Amino acid sequence: MSRVEPFARNPNDGSKRVLVVDDGTTMRLFYRSVLEAAGFVVEEAANGVEGYEKALAQPFDLMIIDINMPKMDGYSMLRAIRADAAVRATPAVTISTEAGDKDVIKAFEAGANFYMVKPVATRELTEIACLITGARPQ
Amino acid sequence: MGLVKGPPPAAEAVPLAARDIDALLIDLVAPDSGVRRHAARDLGAHPDAAMALCDRLQAETSSSVRAVLLTSLIRRQSPAVAARLTTFLRSDDTPLRNAAIEALQEMPDAVAPYLQALLVDPDSDIRIFAVNIVATLRHRRAPEWLTVVIRSDAHVNVCAAAVDGLSEVGGPDALADLHALRHRFADNDFMEFAIDTAIRRIGQD
Repeated sequence: MSRVEPFARNPNDGSKRVLVVDDGTTMRLFYRSVLEAAGFVVEEAANGVEGYEKALAQPFDLMIIDINMPKMDGYSMLRAIRADAAVRATPAVTISTEAGDKDVIKAFEAGANFYMVKPVATRELTEIACLITGARPQ
Repeated sequence: MGLVKGPPPAAEAVPLAARDIDALLIDLVAPDSGVRRHAARDLGAHPDAAMALCDRLQAETSSSVRAVLLTSLIRRQSPAVAARLTTFLRSDDTPLRNAAIEALQEMPDAVAPYLQALLVDPDSDIRIFAVNIVATLRHRRAPEWLTVVIRSDAHVNVCAAAVDGLSEVGGPDALADLHALRHRFADNDFMEFAIDTAIRRIGQD
C-alpha cells in the first residue's frame, strides 16, 4: 500500500535521519535497533505532540508514525506536518495495528506516503526506509 | 462621605458550588470554546454532571476543552462513567478513543469490573486498547491480567501490547509465560525483540 514519490535528499548527505514516533517504549527500541543496524540515525518521540515539535526543530529524511498515541494521534500529527510549509515534504510511513481499508485511506488522506501494519518485520522496515530515503542498506 | 461599595465579585470568584448546574450545562455546549472549557472545569465539582461531561467529550472538537473534560471526568470517576467511556473505545474518532483510554487509565477501581470483558472482546483492536489501559493502570491485578493475555490470546499484536505492558509492570511471576510465548510466535521479529526486552527489564528490577 504505497504512494511513494521521489523526494529531495538531505543536503548533508551522510546517514539518513529517521524520526520514530510511537508511544510504545519497546516498539521505539525495536525501530531504533533495526534502523540503526541499517545505517540510519534515529530520533524518538513518544507521542504526536513531541513528534511534531521534533519534526519542526530539525530536518528528517523520514518519519515513522504510529496512529494510536496519547496527546496527539498519528493522523493529527501528520495533518499538522502537511500544513506547515517548512516540513510538509518530509516523507512519512504510518504504522498501525489496524489493517482495514478505511484506516489506510484515512492515513493517506492525512498525508502518509506509505502504510504498514504491525507487527512489522525487520527486513520489511529496512527495505521501505531505504526505498523512501534513497539510502543504501548496510 | 458615604460608604463606597467595591466592585461586584468577578464571575471567576464565585465559589464553584454556588454556580448553578443548569447554567453550566448550557455553557458546556456554548459556541465559544473558552466558555465550554470553564463549564467543563466547574462541572467537575457536580456529581450529577458526569454523564453530561461524557456526552460533551463525545462531541467536543477543541483539544483544550477535551483536556479539561478528561480532568473533570477523572475527578467524577465511577463505574458508570467508566462504562460509558469504554463505549468510546469502539469509536472511529481516534482522538475520542485516545481520550477515553487516557481517562480510563486514571480510574483503576472504576474500570476494573469492565476490563475482563474488554480483554476477551471479539475485536482485537478493543483487546489492544484494553491491554494499553491495563499496562498503565495502577491496579494490583494488572500484571496478572497481562499474563493471562500472553497465555491465551491468539493475536500477535494483542500479545505484543501485553508484553510491552509486562516490561513496565511485570515481575518474576511473568517470566515463564514470556518464555513460553516465544514458541508461539517463533517467526516474529518484533515479538522476539519485545520478549527479550521485557525479560531483561524484569530481571533488572
